[in-house]
Amino acid sequence: MSEIVLHSLVVAGSVLLAASVVIALFRIVRGPSILDRMIGTDVVLAAIMCGLGGYMALSDRTDLLPVLIVLAMLGFVGSVSVSRYVSKSDSMTPGAEAGALSEFSASDWHMPRDADEQGAGPGSTSEPQARPGDDVTEIADVTYDAHADSGGEGEGTGPDPGPDDAEHVSDGDGQESNRGS
Amino acid sequence: MVLDIISAVLIFLGAVLSLAAAVGLVRFGDLLSRMHASAKPQVLGLVLVAVAIAIQFPTWATVTTLAIIISFQLVTIPVATHMVGRAGYRTKHLRRSMLYRDELAEAVDRAEAREIAWERQRGTGTDHHDG
Repeated sequence: MSEIVLHSLVVAGSVLLAASVVIALFRIVRGPSILDRMIGTDVVLAAIMCGLGGYMALSDRTDLLPVLIVLAMLGFVGSVSVSRYVSKSDSMTPGAEAGALSEFSASDWHMPRDADEQGAGPGSTSEPQARPGDDVTEIADVTYDAHADSGGEGEGTGPDPGPDDAEHVSDGDGQESNRGS
Repeated sequence: MVLDIISAVLIFLGAVLSLAAAVGLVRFGDLLSRMHASAKPQVLGLVLVAVAIAIQFPTWATVTTLAIIISFQLVTIPVATHMVGRAGYRTKHLRRSMLYRDELAEAVDRAEAREIAWERQRGTGTDHHDG
């Protein structure tokens, strides 16, 4: 009798967990924003943790306890990184505190806020040929800024915006190779 | 055998909580409401399942590991939920009509007013600002 009760409880619990995962997957597919998808992923992860715990309790597998720790850490890191990605105004860039609530966009990640003021003249003129506006040149600018900071040979004070760096590359190639070595 | 049935009942309750979270995730129409629904099995369902495991294996190693898991979840889930909610508020992923009172809007207004005042002060050329 108790065998039947136990087995029926286990089967019903697994059916409920599977149903909750399917419904949460429906929300992940349907979700209007990436945050809704993140919440659905959290529910899927919670269902996986509950199912894994039930499997551990009913089939003598206590060696799977670190998997639960890893799953908990995975959910935390996933939620925090996705929400940091979505809210673009979160930035530890110095000078970004003034625009922390209004006009600080994701393209300003690697330059301070007053860089467009001190370099407004050459930036506005040489911008069309230096930066065509796609993401590849932005990533190249990020790596180049880090490289120039580590070299410490640049003529400007602090990290420069992209166009100055681009024309600096165009006029001095030998200098650039010296810096790379 | 009785302990087996007790732990099976606890796991079943955890599965019911997970299903409730999934149904709330589909039925609710707002990001904050869905966060409210989805936070239930992450803590309470995991606590129920951990009690089931601790009933099955009442040793010190298992119980302390389960305590570590539950305390880690209790610490990290509010942080993650807070950050998701903050991102949702800043990217306007919420229905204003479902809020009775928005206390954060007043703080955002004050901060924007302070920022506008600071920008105006910096624009006139005076470089002494308190901040």
